[in-house]
Amino acid sequence: MSGRLHASAVIARRQAFETLLSPGLYVTLAAGLVMGFFLVSGFSSSIDSAGFNPALNPLYDLISRVLAGSFGEAFVGKLFAEGPFTLTLIVSFLPVFLFLSISSVFRFGQEKSAGAIELLTYGPSDGTSYFVASFLKDVIFSAAALLLIAAFLWITAGAGNLVLGPLFLVSLPILFLLSLAAFAYGILCSILSSNASAALAGFLGILVVFLLVLAGSFAVAGSSVRTVASVIAAVLQWISPFFYAALCARGFQAGSLFGLLGGMGLLIVLTAAILVVSHFLIRQRGVRA
Amino acid sequence: MIRTTGLVKSYGAFTAVNGIDLNIPRGQVYGFLGPNGAGKTSTIMMLLGISRPTAGEIRLFGEVYTPERLDLRRRIGVVPEKHPRGVWAWMTAREYLSLFADLFEVPRAAERIDSLLSKVDLERFRNKRVKEFSRGMLQKLSIIRALLPDPDILFLDEPISGLDPIGIKQVRDLIVSENREGRTIFISSHQLSEMEKICHRVAIIFRGKLMVEDTMANLLSRMTPDREIHVELESIPDATVSRLRDLPFVRDVSALETTLIVRLSKEGDFRKALSEQLIREGLVPLSIAEKTPSLEEAFITITQENIDLLARGGKR
Repeated sequence: MSGRLHASAVIARRQAFETLLSPGLYVTLAAGLVMGFFLVSGFSSSIDSAGFNPALNPLYDLISRVLAGSFGEAFVGKLFAEGPFTLTLIVSFLPVFLFLSISSVFRFGQEKSAGAIELLTYGPSDGTSYFVASFLKDVIFSAAALLLIAAFLWITAGAGNLVLGPLFLVSLPILFLLSLAAFAYGILCSILSSNASAALAGFLGILVVFLLVLAGSFAVAGSSVRTVASVIAAVLQWISPFFYAALCARGFQAGSLFGLLGGMGLLIVLTAAILVVSHFLIRQRGVRA
Repeated sequence: MIRTTGLVKSYGAFTAVNGIDLNIPRGQVYGFLGPNGAGKTSTIMMLLGISRPTAGEIRLFGEVYTPERLDLRRRIGVVPEKHPRGVWAWMTAREYLSLFADLFEVPRAAERIDSLLSKVDLERFRNKRVKEFSRGMLQKLSIIRALLPDPDILFLDEPISGLDPIGIKQVRDLIVSENREGRTIFISSHQLSEMEKICHRVAIIFRGKLMVEDTMANLLSRMTPDREIHVELESIPDATVSRLRDLPFVRDVSALETTLIVRLSKEGDFRKALSEQLIREGLVPLSIAEKTPSLEEAFITITQENIDLLARGGKR
């Protein structure tokens, strides 16, 4: 094992240990699972003789309206075509994902400001070792969280005589790869920012912009005001992980294995590209705040 | 051990380090001095591989050194001026040192940690949290961390800053003992009196340029063109002063109450001749001492000369 990889493994182990000790992981995971439970039980009560009817349940009524407003009716129809589990998976994973990504970005910024990263890099490690460690820790925890949520939903589905559906199974790797790309953006923001707050603001800002771009791509084009926004969105979407995740979903729904795997491959390429850029940036800028 | 050639570090239009050539031999205690903003930190950051030189070359252990040479960085121990206290606060001293032992792949880490902790009288505090450590204890812990991988060279940035006299002595003794074991020590500090006690060789940097680099003895000797001898007498007759002035090896004589200050030529050892002359004068020297400039005086002289030079627009 090279010195850099060894250093990354040591730092990742330490960070993972600290994450396991903190209540944040358990609180967000529990919150995700509780939300998942309500979504599944709410879905069961929204089914009548004609099938799924969100109007029967206030929670689903609200969700359907919000999603239809952002992504369009067609999107909502497809999302619930196989049951509640794809949405539930996303909603249940969201708190853990936010906890992992935000805590990593914040920690990176804080340790950079305090000089702790510099102290770690006096020796056989460098800035890249540090961010690779942070990334590895997030990869492991997000994979574990996704598997745990999937197991919970599988049990819930069995208990409620529901099926998870093929989209749910495909959503698992897509969501995992999507989170990796987001973690990579978190690293990039941490390297570019001089403190934790700026890094966090940058990271959340990027996610919101990408989400808006995604929402824009689903919504029906209306006024001429959207022209400029759509041009910007057309450029930005190529660096947005949500765009590639949506490509995967579209590929799957169109029955195109190439589209699905291609989208996943592009998500991996995007993540790798962000990490490579991060490597060169941290070499250039150093680990000092 | 460390050799730099034409080392330059620029930040935009500002040149922090301007063509520095250093030569740090193995087994030396090397003092790196300079006023604030002289370019010390920029130089050290390049030597540690934390930042990349704009120009010039660094050779470490005979090999060209770049920040990518993590194998060479493994052989360097670093004690920064300020220890990032908050981040490790919850760890015990042992956990903290274990993390770095893992990082450096230190063999038989537990034994090594225990032996180093006892070396600086911290073994009682091995299970104490780092946040509860005093400034002095933290500094010793930081030195232990740097020594864990048994580095060939130890970099210390202001190692005694903020320490009480006992802490200063402990750190000084530790530095001297590590050097006696063959370790090269590189120290950057403003505590010139301490540097004078422990350094074999010093470099003085000012406005990004190396003003002087020499052994401590040579540097202090170079500071005065003459030898200054202070002779304590019961009384000083005026005639004696004028007769001493006529001696060929005497550059200048002055009297300050009962102290005769004689400046002798450096072209020979004229102390015996001076003593004989005083006895011939019927005077009994109560004490004879040679006054050598301190490192602090040398530092101020060298930097002030350059400040004056800059003020005159570079004309000597």
